[in-house]
Amino acid sequence: MKTRRDFLRSTVLGASATWTVPMFVERTFGQLHEGARDLAVQPVTGKDDTILIVLQLAGGNDGLNTLVPFADDAYHKARPRLAKKEKEIIKLSDHVGLNAAMPFLGSLFKEGDLGIVQGVGYPNPNRSHFVSTSIWETADTTNHSNTGWLGRYFDNACPGADPTVGISFNKTQPESFGALKNPGVCLNSPELYRWIHSGGDKDQAEQFFADLNKPNTAADHDEDEPTDGGSIAMAAGGKVGGITGEGNLAFLERVALDARVSSKTILELAAKHKTSVRYDGTPLARNLNLVARMIAGGMPTRVYYVSHGGFDTHNQQVNSHDRLLGQLDSGLKSFFADLKQQGNDKRVVLMTFSEFGRRVSENASAGTDHGKASCLFLAGAGIKGGLHGSHPSLTDLSEGDIKHTVDFRSVYGTLLGDWLKAPNLKPILGANYPKMGLIG
Amino acid sequence: MLARADETWTIFEAAHLLNRAGFGGSPAEIKSFHALGREKAVDSLLSPAEPLDAFPLPAWSVGDQALADMRERRQLFRSNRKAMEGLSPEAAAAAKREAIKKIQQENRQQALEGQAWWFRRMLKTQAPLREKMTLFWHDHFATSIQKVKQPVFMMRQNELFRRSAFGSFKDLTHAILMDPAMVLYLDTQSSKKNMPNENFAREVMELFTLGEGNYTEQDIREAARAFTGYYLNQGEGKVSHDKRQWDPTDKTIFGKTGPFAGKDVIDLIFAKKQPARFMAKKLWEFFVYENPSEPALDALAGSFLKADFQTGPLLREIFLSKEFYAEAAIRSQIKSPVQYLIELLKQLEITEPPVGFPVTAQQQLGQVLFMPPNVAGWDWGQAWINTNTLLTRYNLAGFLTKGAGETDKSMMPERIKTPGMAPGPKQMGRGWKGPDYEKIAPRPLRENPTDLVDSLVFRFFQCPLPDKARKSFIEYAVTKKGAVLTDKETAELCHLMLSTPYYQLS
Repeated sequence: MKTRRDFLRSTVLGASATWTVPMFVERTFGQLHEGARDLAVQPVTGKDDTILIVLQLAGGNDGLNTLVPFADDAYHKARPRLAKKEKEIIKLSDHVGLNAAMPFLGSLFKEGDLGIVQGVGYPNPNRSHFVSTSIWETADTTNHSNTGWLGRYFDNACPGADPTVGISFNKTQPESFGALKNPGVCLNSPELYRWIHSGGDKDQAEQFFADLNKPNTAADHDEDEPTDGGSIAMAAGGKVGGITGEGNLAFLERVALDARVSSKTILELAAKHKTSVRYDGTPLARNLNLVARMIAGGMPTRVYYVSHGGFDTHNQQVNSHDRLLGQLDSGLKSFFADLKQQGNDKRVVLMTFSEFGRRVSENASAGTDHGKASCLFLAGAGIKGGLHGSHPSLTDLSEGDIKHTVDFRSVYGTLLGDWLKAPNLKPILGANYPKMGLIG
Repeated sequence: MLARADETWTIFEAAHLLNRAGFGGSPAEIKSFHALGREKAVDSLLSPAEPLDAFPLPAWSVGDQALADMRERRQLFRSNRKAMEGLSPEAAAAAKREAIKKIQQENRQQALEGQAWWFRRMLKTQAPLREKMTLFWHDHFATSIQKVKQPVFMMRQNELFRRSAFGSFKDLTHAILMDPAMVLYLDTQSSKKNMPNENFAREVMELFTLGEGNYTEQDIREAARAFTGYYLNQGEGKVSHDKRQWDPTDKTIFGKTGPFAGKDVIDLIFAKKQPARFMAKKLWEFFVYENPSEPALDALAGSFLKADFQTGPLLREIFLSKEFYAEAAIRSQIKSPVQYLIELLKQLEITEPPVGFPVTAQQQLGQVLFMPPNVAGWDWGQAWINTNTLLTRYNLAGFLTKGAGETDKSMMPERIKTPGMAPGPKQMGRGWKGPDYEKIAPRPLRENPTDLVDSLVFRFFQCPLPDKARKSFIEYAVTKKGAVLTDKETAELCHLMLSTPYYQLS
């Protein structure tokens, strides 16, 4: 039995580094699929294992109008137009409440399946969308890392895993998936996630390419065998989901292989699961629906990544921010109902994150500017519900922003260690951050 | 000054220049470009004969018509408001929603038209570097129609970029401060002296001119005060500076103190050397490869500074340099979606792409003109490629090469709804017949598989392929050949050649 790694070594990087023949790889799917199934029963990539969903709120979510400190006078004073009144929220404690656009999360909180971590951030925060997103995705506050925190988890805690160990439903690969070995896969629509060879003589074409490209035959050792593309391509930065120092051609070949290996499996699984749960038509709900289908189909995936954008509310924020939170709430409601129906609800934990919170004071345009610390949600039966960390002061500020009380790497570390059961956090996060009681 | 390329000028070098400085071309176009010689070829790129107004703009985006439309809309709003006075609150709200909906629909339709207009221009232009630089500026001073909402301002900005294609980086930065689309995009519109909005001040330093680490938070806060009072006069379609909303007090920026306004901040920025280095690196990476060596960067930044930030001379130096034709530069760049699509259409000699194809393809591949993802523009290079977009490229190539009739239904690219732009036709390219294979692979050529493959390899890759790949294609053509390859079989061969990682490189 050939493993994906053997396959990779023997054919793509070794023998035919210049191009891969799609039909040939299609033919070997059965074989590779078997291989992947073997791997799937290993402890770290098992079908019954825990799953983490990472949900990005892109643009900088206004934490203060998400988890509202309604009892704090300073909040109302700083936001004469934007502040939520006591009757406009779902009260969670004497001090804070949820934005009323999120009734489902409110009920989840009451059931003890929603944890809210308050005042999450990092030292010396950066207010640039791009830098701060990068910091959250790489878990490196110096913004020098070329790999992401999830990519390092795949590399270090899931050896030999199929590329579908991580799946992002995005047009572009999230930086957090950046890895040295296995950066996961990225797809948008499972129906189109395959190479479509139409037209006549399909069998002949397949046969031809299969014969021509049989691995480990003499024909593969041509004298003009290039060295993994290095002579043609130059080393690229590899900041975005790539492998550091890998040339563009070698990079393309690796992605081509991963696409083939994952395509058939995903296609089959996506078609299999039908649910009676209704999802909204928003891109977020659509993607959560896809995640639910993958989970129902028994993918060996440990981490799914989805995005919800539009949180950069500099201007007239009231309606747009409430609408975005409402879409989030509705999407999660369908998603968790679907999981429950499947009987997979106990396997899944979801974490939201955003690159930063927003300024305490509203601006002249009835919006808010880029800020620093914010809150994040943890949802799922595996979560210890309630409020975690302490709500930061609204009067002891740093340049008009609240100061963080929890380092986001503590949240990552807890989820990696206590939920995904990564044995060793140091190679993933670079250090051991104090764990929090978020699971259980 | 960078070391110059020597006398030899191969057809492969000509193709490389045309790919990078433009959007490639058919074999015939490459041959006539090669015949010019290196120096003249570069001149032809930098001083195109094609006038700026060679492609008539959609009527709604042209001066007086656009202003009249804007006035009409405001008139409509006003008369609506009057008409609503007698109505119940519910009916008034419904009428208002209806009016807004109508305007939104019009905007989305115009966005689609403007988008198609620019794509078509890229495909047909005889001034490819000018269009490529327009795209470069669009990415650099990224502005999205999704926030700007009014397509007319995007088109005007596009014209500004085209006029400034080879002009001064400094002048263009000044112009961008007064650009309606940018004012709307970065909220300068609502930045007033009592409550300055930092958006523009931050991005102008971080993304447009200096780069992270070359300014302080203090500089940004102070600059934000200088950038107050700029606003868009919707009636005139122009940005003005309202002195009453401007903070006239002293600001300290880069250690200099004065009652600066926005334009002064830009002058302060360009009094530094850093913008020259910042832009030289960005242009080099856009046209050649990532991470240039420090000495090369020093040389380029020096030339750029000496030319007072004029981009034309800098581009000339790049395209005449030895390093531009070095091994590290040739076929090492991952094509952006727009580059991929235009090159492919040119190589297949398709002058009228299937209806709806360009916008659908751009959406699926992750680069929609007028819709960069954020103010940092698109992530280039490896970021274009993931398992999903690579498969989509293969499938789009299959659709284009084979035509709608030959393909199973699943191959018809599905449209994606993009907020801010009207959707293309539901099923695009219905009845698409594929390229003219008599032109691409004339019958006599098909008699000999080796000649056929060599000819197609030059058409698609413009350089010799590694022997193994070339031999595989030849063998494929041999097994396919009955008496002579049919159009359908030729299309299949083309599709296979395009469904390779190698084809993704330019």
